[in-house]
Amino acid sequence: MPGISSESGESSSLVPFSPEVGDPVVYPLHHGLKPPISRLSISWSRGNSLRVSVFLKPQSDADDSEIGGKVVEVKLGSGDGEIDDAQWRRIAYGSVSPFALLQSRKNSMSALSKMSASSSAYEADWWEYVMEYSSDINFLLGGQKLPPSSVIEDPKTILKKVEEPTCLKSAWELLEIFYADKHSQAWMPERLLDWLADYDSLLSGTQPTVHSKLVNFQKDLVSLQAIEDDPKYWEAMSSPLAVGWLDIAVKMLHLHGSYQLDQLGNREIENGLVEAVAVLISKMPRLRPELAPGKLGECYKTKPDFIKAWEKWRAQLTKLDCSTYWVQCDHNRTKEGLKNLLQIMLGNANILSSATCNWIELHISHLLYIRPFTMVSCVSRVFKIIWSLIAPIYLTSCMKQGMGLLEILLYKQPVQHNQLLLKVVTFIVLNIEICRLYELDSVSSKIMKIAGVHHWKHGKKGSGVFWLQQAQDEVCLNRIAQQLFNFVGKSISDESLKQWEGLIELLGSESRTAGGLEFLHKYFILNSNLGCSTGIGISKDPFSRFMMELLLMPLRKPVESLISLMKNPSTPQRFWLPLLYDSVISSLVIFLIGSWLKLLNWQDRPLLNVSQTNLLLNKLQELSMARLRPDFIEADLPSQALSSVRLALATNLGRAILEE
Amino acid sequence: MEKSVVTFDKGTTCSSWNYCGERLATGSIDGTLAIFDSVDPASSSFTCTSTSRVHEVSIVKVVWVPPEYGDGVACICADGTLSLWEEVAEDTKPLQWKLCKDFETSSNQVLDMQFGVSFTSLKLVAAYSNGHVKVYELLDPLELKNWQLQAEFQNVIDSVSKFGKAACLSASISWTPQRGESQQLSFVLGFNSNVMQLNSAKVWEFDQDHQRWLPVAELALPEDKGDPVYVVAWAPNIGRPYEVIAVATHKGITIWHLGLNPDLDGRLSVGKVALLSGHVGEVWQMEWDMSGMTLATTGSEGAVRLWQSNLNGIWHEQAAFEPTT
Repeated sequence: MPGISSESGESSSLVPFSPEVGDPVVYPLHHGLKPPISRLSISWSRGNSLRVSVFLKPQSDADDSEIGGKVVEVKLGSGDGEIDDAQWRRIAYGSVSPFALLQSRKNSMSALSKMSASSSAYEADWWEYVMEYSSDINFLLGGQKLPPSSVIEDPKTILKKVEEPTCLKSAWELLEIFYADKHSQAWMPERLLDWLADYDSLLSGTQPTVHSKLVNFQKDLVSLQAIEDDPKYWEAMSSPLAVGWLDIAVKMLHLHGSYQLDQLGNREIENGLVEAVAVLISKMPRLRPELAPGKLGECYKTKPDFIKAWEKWRAQLTKLDCSTYWVQCDHNRTKEGLKNLLQIMLGNANILSSATCNWIELHISHLLYIRPFTMVSCVSRVFKIIWSLIAPIYLTSCMKQGMGLLEILLYKQPVQHNQLLLKVVTFIVLNIEICRLYELDSVSSKIMKIAGVHHWKHGKKGSGVFWLQQAQDEVCLNRIAQQLFNFVGKSISDESLKQWEGLIELLGSESRTAGGLEFLHKYFILNSNLGCSTGIGISKDPFSRFMMELLLMPLRKPVESLISLMKNPSTPQRFWLPLLYDSVISSLVIFLIGSWLKLLNWQDRPLLNVSQTNLLLNKLQELSMARLRPDFIEADLPSQALSSVRLALATNLGRAILEE
Repeated sequence: MEKSVVTFDKGTTCSSWNYCGERLATGSIDGTLAIFDSVDPASSSFTCTSTSRVHEVSIVKVVWVPPEYGDGVACICADGTLSLWEEVAEDTKPLQWKLCKDFETSSNQVLDMQFGVSFTSLKLVAAYSNGHVKVYELLDPLELKNWQLQAEFQNVIDSVSKFGKAACLSASISWTPQRGESQQLSFVLGFNSNVMQLNSAKVWEFDQDHQRWLPVAELALPEDKGDPVYVVAWAPNIGRPYEVIAVATHKGITIWHLGLNPDLDGRLSVGKVALLSGHVGEVWQMEWDMSGMTLATTGSEGAVRLWQSNLNGIWHEQAAFEPTT
């Protein structure tokens, strides 16, 4: 259990737990294989399911079985059936816009609070927004409650039919009570009471509850004649009173036989006592702003008023409890039953304990009758436990546990699938959007990194770089840059260029810090200019020839690229020579389609001006010096590379000087 | 309640699902590595999409490389060799599984290995039959072939203790499940050997300042320290102020709480909170669910057991699955 260490003293527990632990339930696991089995292996899978690998013992060679084992998936827990897939999708999609609204409000508020000194002014607004969000989600999790089915109520119907409650909604409301609703913190016990009234039936599945008690009593009610003679009646009535469902208790009291017209005459003391208890129940002070129609009690908005009223009410209870009328009441069951109800309201712990069925109910009864003035901070700890058990959507509100689980869930989403690429991309984008909304940056970079590495290694270099850029994974991007550098100095063929398809655009798509890639981008521009003219020049394809014509025009472009590359401090020194040499080699290839088409050794007129040539010569000089250092990395080039580049530059310089 | 999702070929000895449960790798007695994929992610039926012969002897364990580092698996074979295989597309060739690293094993066999992801790098811990532990670090995040040996030590608290030649039957390693970036990189390791000192599960943590691995906790009561350890499993932690680790020995499965803050000596506080009995013989495997609240285990009696703590913090067996035809 998160947050609760098992050593935390049981003795101080508000509510005693039963320490017994039941025997495990043993289920058969049908695999349909012929034993013997050599081994089992397990793996948790999505949706609370467990995958069990069953390996068969290898039999003799004569064995004709072709099967070596199986993986069997076991779905654990059947409680998830309350919400179907379509409903889940509706909740998922519906929750996006309220959350986006909340997020944008949060952003604008944090912007505002940066400007002004006091942030507390926005605090109140913020919780209003959170509550608004919470009620939007709450609405999504279930429809509105049904209105009463008929105007005239059957007096014998003690439990009204409401909408079928769901665990999800109940969990959300608990969250709202403890985390979001700052306004009603003062009357939290009352909010818990309302919560229990709505959701106690959910607990009935696994254990007896006040609700199940009432359902059972409702069935018996039809056959009961003198209701007040039956101990079940009194027992069933004490339970709703203990958890504060006053209207039900009063309604049940009014079923008492002494109210019948023919009885009134001779049972007036008894009826008086019944009525007195009913009045006291319906006058119980409640620390809450208002009550739903039909609910009983008297509301007090402030604690001092409430305390005053409470003390007065308690005095009336004590007075009635000590009244001499009890002696005159000769119906013993009624006397005992009513006294029992008074004891509940007077906060008798033993009676509260027997009137309630589980620890949540008992806890609420304590808050109502034993410690009505305590705030609920101590309860929240206890409730933390049940959230983790019943609430899947508590994720976002319960910071540590919820966010932790969300992180793990998101991380475990697949980012690849061979057949359904588009769907998966949509899925990644959706996951990343969720991460963004919940400010889980580290998770989204992980997701993007997984996608990036996967694409990179599966031959989709462009997508790989794209996702790694999104993940801002400097380490991987630099490694990729290093790998690409290895192409430098080798003439890039059309075939290998194809592998980098889309990469050039990607590398230049946004500004970035990875120095290696900035260099590469420029390198690619240079190479695509050079490479294209080369490749296209050889091609016989008419379209390519047309393209060549076009390319001849911006011939100065590669020069600019080359110069900017050489000027750029991010260009690694070890690539200076390959770059320069590449230009010479490329120009030699270009020479095939026309000797006039050369880059450095431009025949008609120099492509590089004096200062550009000087720059390159200086770089070359720097390189010659650097070669003397032990850490210098020699490029994989012919030995005469340096001298041929130097010669080309010198020739160009001469021409450039003449030209200028 | 149960449905069949994969059918293994004859001679399959081990299997492992990848991080998202969408790919399955299996190893077989003839040294074949098989990969199973689903044709459609919505369907839950998997078919074999690739087979590669990894070795001449049986594969005994397959472990997926963390997804941030590609689609790869580590294979431990019956002769104690360890190799890494990866699915890659090279140049214009189609996707294929390729060997990217064969680890040197010399005379000692690899008994178990696990990957650990830190913010900056991928680490690999391997436990050997002589009681040694080696930690390797990946040098290039995009190349699974370049590994550097970062550390080698024995699974003992006191490094000066002397003992004879160790012969280890099995070992079990479990990394702390990582989230976030700041979390300390650590793992727990236990041996099943003839040397008492090596056996007990110890928690190892990487000391950034001195660049070395230190034992920060021992998960055994004084009287149980020599007990051979079958399996260890570190639980995911979502918001607990302490870590939870399960350790299985012949006495049962013990659940340990491990404090988060070291004392002056750098040790973490430990507390044994439960001893769970239920498995009759050896415990084979222990797996925590992703919330770290349910522990699933298998053992030599052939059952799968699920363990949980109740509201009182009392651990108990919640359910068991017994395979039948």
